[in-house]
Amino acid sequence: MLHIKPIINTLMRSKSGPILLLIQIILSVAIVANASFIIGERLALMDRESGTVEEEVFDFRLYAFDSSIDIESQSLRDMRAIRELPGVIDATTTSMVPLSGGGWSSGYTIGSSEKTAKDTESAAIYYGDDHMVNTFGVDLIEGRNFYETEILTGSPDLATHAIVSKAFAKATWGDESAIGQIMYAGDWGDKPLQVIGVVDKLQGAWVNSSYLDNSVILNVRLVNVFTKVLVRAEVGTLAQLKEAIPAVLHKDQPNRVIEGFTLISEHRKRVYRNHELMATVLSMMVILLLLITSLGLAGMVMFNIERRTKQIGTRRALGAKRRDIISLFLVENYIICIVGGIIGGLVAVQLGQQLMTLYSLPKLELIYPIVTIAGLMVLTTIAVILPARKAASISPATATRSV
Amino acid sequence: MFFYYLDLAWRSIKKTPLLSLLMVFAISIGISTTITTLNVYQLMSVNPAGERSDKLIAVQLWSQGKDAWKEFNAQVTYQDAFNLRKSDLPVRQTAMFVTGLAIQTEDADFSPLLETVRVTDSDFFGMFSVPFLYGGAWDKSVDTEAAYQVVINEEINKQLFSGENSVGKTLFLDSKPYQVVGVIKTWNPSPQYYDVTTGAFKDSTQLFIPFSLAPIEEFQSWGNNQSWKRESMDTYSDRLNSEMHWIQFWAEVTDDKQRDEYAQWLTRYVEQQQLLGRFDSPEAGAQLSNVAQWLDLNEVVPEDNKILVGLSALFLLVCLVNMLGLLLAKFLKRAPEVGVRRAIGASRNQIFAQHMVEVGLIGFCGGVLGLIWAWGSLSMLSARFDLEESLTHLDPSMWIIAPTIAICAALIAGIYPAWRICSTNPSVHLKSQ
Amino acid sequence: MLSMKSISKVFKTDLVETHALRDFNLEVKEGEFVAVTGPSGSGKTTFLNIAGLLEGFTHGDYFLDGVNISNLSDNKSAAIRNEKIGFIFQGFNLIPDLNLAENIEVPLRYRGFNAKERKRRVQHALEQVGLAARMKHLPSQLSGGQQQRVAIARALAGEPRFLLADEPTGNLDSMMARQVMELLEDINKAGTTIIMVTHDPELARRAQRNIQIVDGQVCDFTMYQGGGYQGAEKPHLVAGAASGLDKSSDDSKQTQRVAS
Repeated sequence: MLHIKPIINTLMRSKSGPILLLIQIILSVAIVANASFIIGERLALMDRESGTVEEEVFDFRLYAFDSSIDIESQSLRDMRAIRELPGVIDATTTSMVPLSGGGWSSGYTIGSSEKTAKDTESAAIYYGDDHMVNTFGVDLIEGRNFYETEILTGSPDLATHAIVSKAFAKATWGDESAIGQIMYAGDWGDKPLQVIGVVDKLQGAWVNSSYLDNSVILNVRLVNVFTKVLVRAEVGTLAQLKEAIPAVLHKDQPNRVIEGFTLISEHRKRVYRNHELMATVLSMMVILLLLITSLGLAGMVMFNIERRTKQIGTRRALGAKRRDIISLFLVENYIICIVGGIIGGLVAVQLGQQLMTLYSLPKLELIYPIVTIAGLMVLTTIAVILPARKAASISPATATRSV
Repeated sequence: MFFYYLDLAWRSIKKTPLLSLLMVFAISIGISTTITTLNVYQLMSVNPAGERSDKLIAVQLWSQGKDAWKEFNAQVTYQDAFNLRKSDLPVRQTAMFVTGLAIQTEDADFSPLLETVRVTDSDFFGMFSVPFLYGGAWDKSVDTEAAYQVVINEEINKQLFSGENSVGKTLFLDSKPYQVVGVIKTWNPSPQYYDVTTGAFKDSTQLFIPFSLAPIEEFQSWGNNQSWKRESMDTYSDRLNSEMHWIQFWAEVTDDKQRDEYAQWLTRYVEQQQLLGRFDSPEAGAQLSNVAQWLDLNEVVPEDNKILVGLSALFLLVCLVNMLGLLLAKFLKRAPEVGVRRAIGASRNQIFAQHMVEVGLIGFCGGVLGLIWAWGSLSMLSARFDLEESLTHLDPSMWIIAPTIAICAALIAGIYPAWRICSTNPSVHLKSQ
Repeated sequence: MLSMKSISKVFKTDLVETHALRDFNLEVKEGEFVAVTGPSGSGKTTFLNIAGLLEGFTHGDYFLDGVNISNLSDNKSAAIRNEKIGFIFQGFNLIPDLNLAENIEVPLRYRGFNAKERKRRVQHALEQVGLAARMKHLPSQLSGGQQQRVAIARALAGEPRFLLADEPTGNLDSMMARQVMELLEDINKAGTTIIMVTHDPELARRAQRNIQIVDGQVCDFTMYQGGGYQGAEKPHLVAGAASGLDKSSDDSKQTQRVAS
């Protein structure tokens, strides 16, 4: 059977080779653990759902630069025309688009009296009409949608009713039902808003904000020369609607710029671009690093085998089986790998600590270095077994021949 | 002797192609990740203002109330910008924001374009060294007496006026006629240091119109608008009189002395405003930053990038350790030959030099290969992520930096193996066959 | 020419001290052909390494050409090896990747000769050993005897004052060995001092002078004049001692050949 002590003694005697391998493994573990932790963190961020039907909902911008246009009636006619187009499920005007990186947000005032008034968390503000819930495709889990008669037209300050996201309701009123609650857009008592519905999930525009899941929908059809329109249409119809919508709107009133057709799924891609980029670059790094480390490992094992050909031959002559030779090399490298892994794990935690203090990274989870070490053991096995099999086939006769 | 060593190095590389390839591969991968991240870092951390960096001053005011933001906002309110413009201390100064307008020409068939437009003062062009192709900025008097004038860039000029000198011609913005007074050459400083509020790495606006037109034409702001106070903003004059931060303000000074004077002037301005009931926070005041400070303050180089540069440096270190091990193996295998060379008159230094040349050659190959990888990965990343060209082109300096890092790194890795081989006793290897 | 005065060389490990040479004294005159014999492990190789400046020594003085080289820097001793000493090894030690011309060129490179001078000397050296036609061949394409002749050419190319040969014929069959020996004798006649370590009493007998090293000391010392074979008893004694003690060594192959 294997005797670990003599193996360790051998390792201690031939210093430089094992030490280099050790350093390499320590560094690899430290880098790979931290890199894969960052990758995992970014992927988790990117995995969050906006609550909308991202493949169906798109937005575009409509700019009425001709001051002779009556925007209010024009907008009503536009929306009606869009909803009638084939493929379109629903449409609304909006103040902002989820995951688009730009829009409106604010905190509100709540409380039963002026004295107990306090601010809520910030929330994204969607100004829209009774079609908005359906256009987003969000689930109304409590209360009701706006009635058509409740929709007001004009400035944001007109709003009276609100539909809020579950996250915002929970953050603001806790376990209490949000339906029927009053919140104020101004100071306490100023511009009251009554909550009439709660949607399961609706994200705002800023994916790096702490209040991404806080949203409110307010019952105002904004009137502005510059309008954002949200359309929900069957998947795959965007290409043809990109032509059809400007055609039908320009037929009615040509003095408008209509552009910027973008699916929410495309906004998602753009807004998470940096995270995806980071995750991609780090993944490339991890893969290459593991490749380099295992190639280096295999190279060192090959070198060791060559150097110890005679010794291996002697062992074989003394009755060592092929399996014994392979396990000799495996155990030798496992020892280096485990020692390097443990030190590397400590370095990884230290590096994580540094990254955490220097940059806004969360604390490194221990599972990452552990999984990294386990993965390295597997790699070590592969990188050692391949050359070691060659060593095992060294003829015992080698020992008797002088070099 | 160098060429002799080079010849020997090349023979040695050819003799163990797999091992040599592995080493070149290892170092090239290390170099390519380092170069890729370093390249992006370098492009991001450029200060495009160059030697004018110290003269251009971004102005920030702590005008918010007691419980509002705990830092200076990057922008100022319209009323403050309006007041600051009246100071005659700075050599030049400009207030600005970005809006969007529909462009039309006298040609009725030209379908309207929606373009971002920078609303700014005549000093903008001089302060930020904007190069003109035709004409120039509007007259300074326009900054106070509004006039419908516009400066356009080369590209729009091509689109609208087929590239000819369009100074004096008319184009329509939101159906209003504007007279072209200047055409600028393509100008795209990266990072866009004069306005980092909506991202520092995007193309600059193509049209410029006078700031003095804002209250008349009521241009919407397409930039960041940040309020700390709940104010109703039904009309444009509400907006102009509000405490909302949405205007960028820059001043140019000749030297530090003038900068100090300007700072004092701003302190007096804040005190004066406090008498009017504004600036009621104890931290109220002004902050001046030159371009370098401004880029730093706004964290133009993202954290991610710094992390990547750090990690790739560690990566390079792993590649070096890897290479060190392989070199050691390779060199020690050659001990008998070295023994012969030593016996017939090579000194330790000569053997050391011979091996360092070989390592340097491997490093050089690794550097060149790494540069190719880096170029490949940059173009792949930019295609995959639709990145700004200004961030992904391989900076020419990298053609020097990459091989230099590679050779230096390889030489460092080679010192120990080369020392080992030149310090072994030659006689040991002469007896054996 | 070469003068060693009470040289001693001690190898130390954690456990033992081995005296490879003890109070070793030797004088070699210009133009001599000295054969060194002795049992395995007696210090022959150590002596040769010290003489060739490949190893340092613990005590004593070593004068080469009147220069005390006891404490020379590596650079200086390399230069002396390069200019004054030629080495010939049992295993030829040609560099396998280099062709004959390039092998011979190696010491000339280190001496800093220009291309023209190198070419001239390579040509001359190869002519001396009769292999000028095979300049571009690799060592592996030659027979053992030819390889050894190339190694001699390499040693001669630098025009050294003396040659150190370590079992130069040990790996060769008797016919080739004789050719190499004749070559060495020619070189010696041309004025180069030669010190040759050998097991072969035949060869040793052909040298002007025989030295035997036993236990790190010069033990026996016989002078032959003009290559004559007077006093035939002594060489027999020497050869007998050598072969008798050599049985257990790893050089047994050569010993057996000598015996057979």
